[in-house]
Amino acid sequence: MEELLAEVVSVLVTVVEACGAAVIIIGAVWAFVRFVYAGLRERSTSAFVPVRLTLGRFLALGLEFQLASDVLRTAVAPSFRELGQLAAVAAIRTALNYFLGKEIAEERRQVAEEHERGRAVPDPTDLARGRTV
Amino acid sequence: MLEQVAGTASSAVVGAALVAALVALATTRHPPLAIGVLLDLLVAAGLLRLVGNPSWQAVVTAGVILVLRRLVGAGFRAARRSWSGGGEGPGRRPAARRRLELLDRLVRPAWRL
Repeated sequence: MEELLAEVVSVLVTVVEACGAAVIIIGAVWAFVRFVYAGLRERSTSAFVPVRLTLGRFLALGLEFQLASDVLRTAVAPSFRELGQLAAVAAIRTALNYFLGKEIAEERRQVAEEHERGRAVPDPTDLARGRTV
Repeated sequence: MLEQVAGTASSAVVGAALVAALVALATTRHPPLAIGVLLDLLVAAGLLRLVGNPSWQAVVTAGVILVLRRLVGAGFRAARRSWSGGGEGPGRRPAARRRLELLDRLVRPAWRL
């Protein structure tokens, strides 16, 4: 019974890890295409920010899958040594996820601030035409 | 099998990070943005290396890249604040120059005029 459980958990761990890897790979490929597109077509720094935010979300989601696989692994960890290793890796992944989340929130705040500032500053072309905002 | 695929994808993402950063630098002439793009994709590559049973080196590398990303971001933000005046008005740059002159006087050897 225990062997069957170990096998099932092993398959589940592989599936969940594959999902996490797929999310990260898709996010990285999408972001690469968008970065190149933004660089060649739009040529402005503001075009890169939404892409970076979305890539951060992809990475956070991939990390969640990796953490889920760590949690699944603890179900069949046989020795305290392996359990300790798993705990250390899971702690580091949790820290990575935490900092990634903080970075996403920080960048989102900056985007909102810049958006507000952009709205407050009048458009120079409007000023040249003698209009006020 | 999964680890091999993830490792190959990780190497490809590192290459993509370099290309994307070069494109960002060449088209916008804004190094902080290019470094941000590079570090974003390097984080993705580091996370791909964590798939399976990662070595301690892979885990530490991913952590170091994330810390580096935060440090670089904080450094560029601080630099931008100091050069844009940080809301302290036009007297900011002369004050910074005065501070630099004071520092220069303090660290200059006594035998030098």
